[in-house]
Amino acid sequence: MLGRIRREAEKITINNSGIQGVQSISTQYESVARPLDNLGITEIQYAPQGAQTASLQLNTLLTNTLPSGGAGYTPLDLMQNFTGDIPFSGIIDYGTEKLYFTQAYLETYSVSCSIGEIPRSSTTSVIFGDLGTGLFDSWALASEVPAGLNVTSYSSMEVNLDEFSTNRMTSFSVDIATPRVPIYTLGLGAPTEVIAGTPIEVNVNFSLDIDDYEIKNMRFVPEQTVFRDTTITLKKNNSDVELLRYSFDNMLLTSESFQAGVDSNAAINFNLRSFILR
Amino acid sequence: MAQVFYDKTAVQVEYDGVSETLLATNCTINYNNNLQPVYVLGNKGSLGHVPAGPRVGDISFDFLTTITGETHGYPGNIINYLASGIKHSIGSSGSGVLVKCAGISGWGFLNSYGFNAQSNAVSTSNASFGFFGGFDDPAGFTLPLSGRITGSDAEVGSTTAAVATGVAHGRYTTLASLYTTITAPDAAEEIGKLFAADYSISFAHNPIYMLGQETPLLTLYTSATESINAIEDVYNSGLSYTGNATDYPLILESVDLNALSNMRVTMISGVQVGASLSVGLDDIVRTQKTITAAY
Repeated sequence: MLGRIRREAEKITINNSGIQGVQSISTQYESVARPLDNLGITEIQYAPQGAQTASLQLNTLLTNTLPSGGAGYTPLDLMQNFTGDIPFSGIIDYGTEKLYFTQAYLETYSVSCSIGEIPRSSTTSVIFGDLGTGLFDSWALASEVPAGLNVTSYSSMEVNLDEFSTNRMTSFSVDIATPRVPIYTLGLGAPTEVIAGTPIEVNVNFSLDIDDYEIKNMRFVPEQTVFRDTTITLKKNNSDVELLRYSFDNMLLTSESFQAGVDSNAAINFNLRSFILR
Repeated sequence: MAQVFYDKTAVQVEYDGVSETLLATNCTINYNNNLQPVYVLGNKGSLGHVPAGPRVGDISFDFLTTITGETHGYPGNIINYLASGIKHSIGSSGSGVLVKCAGISGWGFLNSYGFNAQSNAVSTSNASFGFFGGFDDPAGFTLPLSGRITGSDAEVGSTTAAVATGVAHGRYTTLASLYTTITAPDAAEEIGKLFAADYSISFAHNPIYMLGQETPLLTLYTSATESINAIEDVYNSGLSYTGNATDYPLILESVDLNALSNMRVTMISGVQVGASLSVGLDDIVRTQKTITAAY
């Protein structure tokens, strides 16, 4: 009998912590088997060419958070913990099946929000270990997530840039890229080590409906650009309880754009960028 | 008009009743006649061109390191068999082997042979032969090169797809004999991780020419030099002044570990002659050691 699997039968568990607020999960690999070609070829043969990896993308609404300080984590968003040098493993449940993966490293972490939305995080990770339905390691049972709802909201966030006192912010995004350098040796398929590369690039993008915002003279950038300290604080909906804080020092203004149209308000987008050395 | 596509240009090597088609990825054949212009006093132009040496040729090709072949009971590809035989031979006289590609063939003497291994990649090899001609066996084979471009079907293979189990691969090849171990200046032992290695051997030969004929009477192998470069993450700053001769057995494994076949090369009394270190952006410090041996 043909069946289908809906969202109620799908979940992802990372390092024995269930992830909630998940909007989408995707994972994929491409075999590195390549055909061998040679002069006088009479047979197509395949051999692995290059390291076998997979990728994982995860999009979640920031509706549930880890207990503050729990399990040694500092940030309240679980995935944000993996911008460092530690890998993670996990299980994706779909129906009665389980998809396991090991030795995954976060490559990009983004959090974004627009008016009317619940803030969401998006991550992409590269899997250097294994991926599949086999059991690769000793696994503890996936724990149920005990955390109650801690919904962040666009209506209860704080952003510390001066422009926002007279210009209305309509959306923001924080994008963190964490480079990874896998080290492969002879005789092994998986890397012996994955180095957390440096620097980490951070981009913060804002969109504003403007009133008196002044675009910089492009020839003054970057010499006369003021480096900004940027802090975005996400709070629990309709409360003053702080859930997540993104704070970056000395961000450089790298781009500004202006849009006007007959059906819309005048708007500005600008980007701030900084690099963090590990 | 010969227009032959690459699928009909297998590189084949024959020796002592054994013929092997190599999984070559390219092949180059050169042929030269050493003509020089002759100038004399009293004449502005040259009197013409005259031979200043014999006609010689050479062939070189890269190929995938096949290791599941067998030549006279010696596992591996035929080039490795030839190199090993020459390297360890007691006598100097060489007989040469028949080398063919795209309808051109010659009686070749192995000039050089090498292979590499790197992580998660198929191993590739290279070989070059010199053509001098002058042999009576097979009969009439006196010129360095002969033939015209023609296509030919390889003598191995089928049309079915398969995983290449007979090709050496860095995923399963450790080359553990090349690991550098350092214990000084403190007692804490440090063993290097090997990222890649390449091996090469070159042969010097001496064709003996006699008056009255163009092609050599015989060709002698005189010496061989062998070299290994290994890429690691350990730097041996305690390089020995006098050298420390060591045997280095190299074992190349294929994708199929159940095949119970591998190819072996052993460098005899190799000495490390160099250690270098390099680092670039977004990478770790990598070292390279060079080991050589002579025969």
